[in-house]
Amino acid sequence: MMNAELLMMLGGAVAFSLTTYWVRRRELREKYAVGWMVMASLLLAIGFFPDVLTSAAQFAHLSYPAAVLFVALTVMYIFSFAVSVTLTHHYRRAVRLTQELALMEERLRRMERLLRLDRAKQ
Amino acid sequence: MKHLIVMPAFNEEEALPGTLAGLAALPADFDILIVNDGSADRTGTVAEALAASRPNVHVVHLPVNSGIGVAVQTGYRFAAERGEYRYVIQFDADGQHDAAAIEPLVEWCECYGLDLCVGSRFLASARVGFQSTSARRVGIRFFARLIGLLSGVRVTDPTSGLRCAGPRAWKRFARIYPDDYPEPESLFWCARNGLNVGEVPVVMHERQGGTSSIYRFRAAYYMLKVTMSILFDRVRAREGRAI
Repeated sequence: MMNAELLMMLGGAVAFSLTTYWVRRRELREKYAVGWMVMASLLLAIGFFPDVLTSAAQFAHLSYPAAVLFVALTVMYIFSFAVSVTLTHHYRRAVRLTQELALMEERLRRMERLLRLDRAKQ
Repeated sequence: MKHLIVMPAFNEEEALPGTLAGLAALPADFDILIVNDGSADRTGTVAEALAASRPNVHVVHLPVNSGIGVAVQTGYRFAAERGEYRYVIQFDADGQHDAAAIEPLVEWCECYGLDLCVGSRFLASARVGFQSTSARRVGIRFFARLIGLLSGVRVTDPTSGLRCAGPRAWKRFARIYPDDYPEPESLFWCARNGLNVGEVPVVMHERQGGTSSIYRFRAAYYMLKVTMSILFDRVRAREGRAI
């Protein structure tokens, strides 16, 4: 029968596999894989040693579900925010490259036209 | 020194020939740059054909649709790269703007030392022609009040895409320019950072082709995004006059 510990172990194993799969295909950079590997390890560790979670919860006074939800939402917020910042950074670079490409292409066309005119004169 | 007219064009194959024909009477010191913003129709081909017979017309093709802000900024970057232009004028490709307004815009910049001169539909002497829909006019008035309140500069048509930028403004825009719906935000930036901003009465027409990018739910997003951008800019440090 499925219990929370088993679910966490399964989740950890799936997270490990998914992360490894995407890194192997070079669709996820190792830089970002680190965070997800840590998450997968935590899930697995908690699945194997559920007492660790109980002790941690007692230590942090997370004895009621709403507090756990709050912590989970905070973690999700941090991850999502980091993704938004990274996206913005990449967007700026993509825009710059797009503009540079367009301007270079225009310059190339202009030079080709001048070259054609030059050849026609000769 | 020459001046550059930047014409961002996204799916404007119908309107582009007419708009460009309207600019034919301008003096020789005006160059025109059509920025084809990754159009899905034949805008690029039409622009190339038009440029082939007119040496003062240039065409830049953005490989993907990147939005009005990126397209206009490409024009400012083109001007910065060429280094032969004094004023850069933004002019819509959809036929809304009147070519007769271009020279007065430049003259006002010259006469009054303006860094940014906006063509306004709503100045008392210009209340003819297309005045936009009533809902949009409410939005425009809101932005005008917001900019006035936060910068102390009175403007009447902050969303107008017909504008002339002097070197201090466009050299900064070539480096940093808002991505989408850039007009009110860039105007606010100029007003707040001590650049001289003015308006000239102009007559505008209904668009001759294509479709507006601001409709239905986008209008709500537009209002929210631009308001937030102006408020965020208000809490940034001033860049001062040493630009």
